[in-house]
Amino acid sequence: MRLHRLLCSLAFAGASLTVHAQGTLRVGMTAADIPIVTGQPDQGGEGQRFLAYTAYDALVHWDFSSADKPSTLVPGLAASWKVDDKDRTKWTFTIRKGVKYHDGSEFKAQAAVWNFDKLLKSDAPQYDSKQAAQGRSRIPAIKTYRAIDDYTLEIVTNEPDAFLPYQLTWIPMSSPANWEKVGKSWEAYAKSVSGTGPWKLVSWTPRERAELVPNKAYWDPKRVPKLDRMILLPLPEPSTRVAALRSGQVDWIEAPPGDAVPGLKAAGFQIITNVYPHNWVWHLSRAEGSPFNDVRVRKAANLAIDREGLNKLLGGLSIPAKGFMPPGHEWFGKPEALRYDPAAARKLMAEAGYTKEKPLAFKAIVPSSGSGMMQPLPMNELVQQNLNEVGFKVELEAMEWNTIINAWRAGAKAPGSRGAAAMNYSYFIQDPFTAFTRHLQSDLIAPKGTNWGYYNDKAMDDLLLKAKTTFEPKEQTRVLQQIHEKFVNDALFLAITHDVNPRALSPKVQGFVQAQNWFQDFSPVYMTK
Amino acid sequence: MSAAAPTVELPIAAAAAQGYWTGVFRRLLRDKVALACALVLIAIVLAAIFAPYVAPADPAKGAILKRLQPIGAEGFPLGSDELGRDMLSRLIFGGRLSLMMGLSPVFFALVIGGFLGIVAGFVGGRTNTVIMRTVDVFFAFPSVLLAVAISGALGAGIANAMLALTVVFIPPIARVAESVTTQVRSLDFVEAARASGAGAFTIIRVHILGNVLGPIFVYATSLVSVSMILAAGLSFLGLGTKPPDPEWGLMLNTLRTAIYIQPWVAALPGALIFVVSISFNLLSDGMRSAMDVQR
Amino acid sequence: MIAYLLKRLGLVIPIALAVSVVCFALVYLAPGDPLSAVVPSDASKEMVEELKKEYGFDKPIPVQYAVWLGRTLQGNLGQSIATGRPVATEIGSAIGNTLILAFAASLVGFTLGAVLGTIAGYFSGSWIDKAVSAIAVAGVSVPHYWLGMVLVIVFSVILGWLPAMGAGPGGSGEWTWDAEHLKHLVLPAFALSVIPTSIVTRTLRALVADTLSKEFVIALVAKGLGQGAIFMHVVKNVAPTALAVMGVQLGYLMGGSILIETVFSWPGTGFLLNTAIFQRDVPLLQGTILVLAMFFVGLNLIVDLVQTALDPRIRRT
Repeated sequence: MRLHRLLCSLAFAGASLTVHAQGTLRVGMTAADIPIVTGQPDQGGEGQRFLAYTAYDALVHWDFSSADKPSTLVPGLAASWKVDDKDRTKWTFTIRKGVKYHDGSEFKAQAAVWNFDKLLKSDAPQYDSKQAAQGRSRIPAIKTYRAIDDYTLEIVTNEPDAFLPYQLTWIPMSSPANWEKVGKSWEAYAKSVSGTGPWKLVSWTPRERAELVPNKAYWDPKRVPKLDRMILLPLPEPSTRVAALRSGQVDWIEAPPGDAVPGLKAAGFQIITNVYPHNWVWHLSRAEGSPFNDVRVRKAANLAIDREGLNKLLGGLSIPAKGFMPPGHEWFGKPEALRYDPAAARKLMAEAGYTKEKPLAFKAIVPSSGSGMMQPLPMNELVQQNLNEVGFKVELEAMEWNTIINAWRAGAKAPGSRGAAAMNYSYFIQDPFTAFTRHLQSDLIAPKGTNWGYYNDKAMDDLLLKAKTTFEPKEQTRVLQQIHEKFVNDALFLAITHDVNPRALSPKVQGFVQAQNWFQDFSPVYMTK
Repeated sequence: MSAAAPTVELPIAAAAAQGYWTGVFRRLLRDKVALACALVLIAIVLAAIFAPYVAPADPAKGAILKRLQPIGAEGFPLGSDELGRDMLSRLIFGGRLSLMMGLSPVFFALVIGGFLGIVAGFVGGRTNTVIMRTVDVFFAFPSVLLAVAISGALGAGIANAMLALTVVFIPPIARVAESVTTQVRSLDFVEAARASGAGAFTIIRVHILGNVLGPIFVYATSLVSVSMILAAGLSFLGLGTKPPDPEWGLMLNTLRTAIYIQPWVAALPGALIFVVSISFNLLSDGMRSAMDVQR
Repeated sequence: MIAYLLKRLGLVIPIALAVSVVCFALVYLAPGDPLSAVVPSDASKEMVEELKKEYGFDKPIPVQYAVWLGRTLQGNLGQSIATGRPVATEIGSAIGNTLILAFAASLVGFTLGAVLGTIAGYFSGSWIDKAVSAIAVAGVSVPHYWLGMVLVIVFSVILGWLPAMGAGPGGSGEWTWDAEHLKHLVLPAFALSVIPTSIVTRTLRALVADTLSKEFVIALVAKGLGQGAIFMHVVKNVAPTALAVMGVQLGYLMGGSILIETVFSWPGTGFLLNTAIFQRDVPLLQGTILVLAMFFVGLNLIVDLVQTALDPRIRRT
């Protein structure tokens, strides 16, 4: 009898724990608006994090399950893939069976083809210029694609390219059937969103909120979300974000400013950080007439930055840059060390013909907030201050995040870049293409790619091609290290710091595993009472 | 936020008598509140002009380690900002830009609007209608909206912001000038002057200007506080000064994140705007009372 | 009266047209070629050509204006560059929120201002009068966006009584007049009300004091008329001007809420304007300003008519 009672109360307790461990999670994002909801989000990495991998899936996914090791690729909608041994431009993807969209239709190879057409084929009826603008530059390797049968997809690349799977992680798969159902209009699709992802987008209001609920029929039962509901709120202003968390209006904020961290910790909030492949740089223009075509000027700029000081500005929430990749990364290699030496910087600038009295004036465009941008305004003010000390005269022009993304895609020569010689940006550097190729390959200039600065160097192009076509992992790593060494030694960008992906969570939020990745999995999260 | 539709009670002097202005000045001196405000303003303006001599530190030089120090910290009498720069120095230097952005638009609007209004009031008829209707169009915009629209379209920057604000203040000043001039023009002694064949310019110079400039000027001073708040507001929105220039509105913007760590330091620029603003308002009120002979 | 109404209406049309010209001209103020101001940077060549034709950029400016005006009168305010959504939709969803905020702020402002101003007017010259005047001057001198920030620190973070931002749990789409939503309204409405409160206070104080000192009132008091009746006289005399001032203030609240909406992330037209500027989204900027200005023009018209109806002696030539 007693055992029975004990078991009953235990079961009851267990049941109530599970009943309570759901809840509604309200998230404050740094984006100023809800990202595009029709498949290919804007708002940079944050858009991908909250509106791609939630409501949608891609062919290839990242592994979000662990916080302790680097995140690697795992199968997504493609259960497996291989490259043809004889013709290394031909890839075959085996599509996972039985995956259903939220609207009930099944995901097949033809849907993947339809989605590629959406981004690449401007005369296709489903072509969407807004999504294409975001997605096209993510998959430059793709030459042709076709569905061999319902569950086999073939992709042919322009030349042998070992990085193709990485590129495919950026392409969420929208639903062709849904698009037909709502009348073949993306505007209508946005009102009735359908993807294959673990979450369903049930409602959203521009600039204000988006609401997601679990997709109980998700094809990976381990990733069915535990929460009842997740609400996304755009809060680009850091102090407003912190205020919202502290006053209980949200339960989770992205990127709390370092200043607020001690206060938040004292008030019982959880501060979660982790290293991840990210850097915060000033991308330098190498267009004709740019002052940064002189290597002395570039090196002087790198010597002028007080990275440790910047770390203090951020309350310790950063990793001062020693190169372009975070220190300790497997592609780091052995470049010359970056250091803070304003005297040496002034000497180089003097050699180039500039002093504090006769400074080198230029404009830098910087975002006011945004995914991975940390605390852009004070950080950029500090960089400006550092540079002004050694013979530069920097004019900062602040722009809204999504606007600067557009400028980034348009290139340094476009009017949207406002004549700037430098652009502050934070880069997702999780794969060789995003880390190196897209900034440095000479033919990846706008509109084909995001070599914003129009950098053009034959030796670098050769190295990049070599990395792409080296399918053997250890050899590939060695080439990537060479690329990194050249990157740092030639001072191609102004390397400043690395983010640690900080988030501030209410004590009621449990279950979150912060992967070493720009993107995260919200499925294991639950709220306690 | 308004350069409010002017309803100006006009104390018109019977004649441009020397004694009138001396009387005004003496009454002003006896008004303790107005006097105090004038002194405060003079002190702030002098500090701004002589900033390099008055400020204890270089407003552009910051030590990151010393960021966001509280008021009264070692070496930072009023604390330090988010980059470790001395607040007192930045506030003093900031006065230069803030005062300039607050005063210049009103000054230019005074000249342009005053001219337009006086001409409209004196000439009357068609000219009056044309000028005043044009002015009415700009009156159709709330001042904040107009300022934001113009500087938003032109782009950020001090010159653009000042241009926008000048455009915002021309209409109300023109209206007041026209209204005052019309009233004066119809006074007996002016009629007499015209009847006796005096030329237009002479009449304006001798009879009108003396009576008209006073009220217009007093009205303009009441606009200075609005101008300062609007100018700082434009910088707050990112439309006026750009970093690293010290300016009170911009400082309010960049110090917003510091609100949790050093709320008093973050509040200082706003407090200064408030002090200058209220001083101008009280001074303007005092001047208006002093000029009101019927008191 | 009807004649005056018609005359007044007649005056509005040229003003409205002139306002539209100013809004139209904004695109040309923007640095760079006006086409680049309205074309998204990722637009294809075809889209650029299409937009060129739609806006009529290849035609002379007066023709462009006519085209723009025609489209606007049909309700087509163009497309937001940043989001691709029609500008009219964006404004439509935002304007309700600004109306709510402006309404709340004016309720607070006018009530408080009327009460304070009347009291000060009655006790003109006394310390009460001086105190109220001091408060009013302070209210007009304080930068209200700064006040908003201070209110957030005190009431949101330190005391935790009120939320720091936003328009409530359901977002702007689901505004209801319940406690949860009203909590979000308190701080921004109060911060926004400071200026109108002060102006109404000062106006009313002057009007009331002036009326009370008029000879006929003194005579009425001498005749033994009760305080209540005197008060009614005061109200009747003061009402037209007071209402006029309040009406104008309401207009300023609608058009000038951008700073408060920014501080509190209140999803109204001011916030929209801020976003448009930052994103250099000229169609959105143009459309929002046009709508707000028209609101203001309309409001001025109503105020004028009401004022004239209440006191036929007032006429604006």
